[in-house]
Amino acid sequence: MDVNGFGKDGENMNSMLHNEEASARSDAGIVAMSMFFAGLLIVAFTTSPIASGTQVGERAPIFSGEAYDGTSWKSFEFEDFLDLTWSWNSTNDAPWIAVEFLDTDCYYCKEQATQVGEWAKTYSAEQWIGPDVIFIAIAVEFVSDSSRAEVVEFRTQYNNDFRFVDDLGISIAKEWDVTATPSYFLVQPDGIVAWNSGVDKLGWDAKEEDTFAITSDDRRVKLNEAIEVITLLNGGEQ
Amino acid sequence: MNEYAVLSIHGVIILYGLLLLTPIGSSLATVFHGRYESTKTKRGQLLAGMVFVCFGGFTVSAHTLWMHNKLSEGQSVCSGDTILNCDGLIGNLSYNTDPLFGQPWGLIGMVAFTALMWLVLTIGKDPMSPQAPLFIKGGLGATIAGLPVIGLLVSYEIKEGLICPFCTVAHIANVIALVGFFLLFRLNESEEWAPEAKKNFSRK
Repeated sequence: MDVNGFGKDGENMNSMLHNEEASARSDAGIVAMSMFFAGLLIVAFTTSPIASGTQVGERAPIFSGEAYDGTSWKSFEFEDFLDLTWSWNSTNDAPWIAVEFLDTDCYYCKEQATQVGEWAKTYSAEQWIGPDVIFIAIAVEFVSDSSRAEVVEFRTQYNNDFRFVDDLGISIAKEWDVTATPSYFLVQPDGIVAWNSGVDKLGWDAKEEDTFAITSDDRRVKLNEAIEVITLLNGGEQ
Repeated sequence: MNEYAVLSIHGVIILYGLLLLTPIGSSLATVFHGRYESTKTKRGQLLAGMVFVCFGGFTVSAHTLWMHNKLSEGQSVCSGDTILNCDGLIGNLSYNTDPLFGQPWGLIGMVAFTALMWLVLTIGKDPMSPQAPLFIKGGLGATIAGLPVIGLLVSYEIKEGLICPFCTVAHIANVIALVGFFLLFRLNESEEWAPEAKKNFSRK
């Protein structure tokens, strides 16, 4: 039968237009989706969530495992070092965190190790005008087979008197997007990545909530320079 | 506004939906009789109750997503010295996203309750459709599938020794929705599902 002069197509169209089931589904779909997007919009307009990641300004992924503190391997929770209530003008003495990814078989890690050990001592609250900076080393296995015994030996040999976290399974390195060693990160007390050696000339300004350029006399900005520039910029002066 | 005052608003919506599912729902549904003819039937009351439960579940889930975002900004939204503490759970980076897609649990709840709302509204708009039993079974299946997820979230609460009241209300909404879909399922298999059709048939 010819419907509205459109033949078979018209008939199909007519049946589609009068299909009550389809109409009920689409009407309900419109109402449900409107509710969903209205809810999502309200949340989006009233909050500014911070993404998790290791780029400057992102919230550092938390991790746990076992760490060697000079006496034995103990359970370690990165979150225990964070203070989510910290802000750039905080007067509390929440420490900043310098995270180093290293491989005990990596030449450059060995080359840097003594200096990193010295920085760990230099940037403790008693030694300088800025806030306390806690150093955490994460031992990975990129180059060749490594072991906890090697990690302990490395720590002792280079006087790195801070915690060494066992990540020989490289799960933390994957989460932190680390593919080469040594890699360094400076993390604010509230867990925001303030500096990443992979993008070494950018720092995080907690007050402005934006990145800023760090200048250096050298070709690359080093961890100690990043610590001094960023912590003192973000209310670090005591 | 105090967070528990806001929570009670979500709770009241869900509670009203729950009451509509109970035998006293017939008297509560009278307020809708003028505008929604179908609420004079048992089926209409159950569906109206389910709309409230799904809406309450949706709003409380949206609220937990809001809290999740606020906590990521470093703000405190619902903390305390007691066992009732959302910050310790929604703000806990180890537990506050689903292990499969890495999305906040609040968003998962919003999607789930939107899907349930769609099923309920579709059934309500065309209850005589041959697809209606399928949608009811779909809703029943979805809410049952929500139980292991609730179990996982409760295990996080036990592990941390904290209770997140907002999350708990969303879990309760899912359980009530499960009961609601079960009641719809039973009703659908009885003659009470379409009393109008029965009346018309007997008149002929």
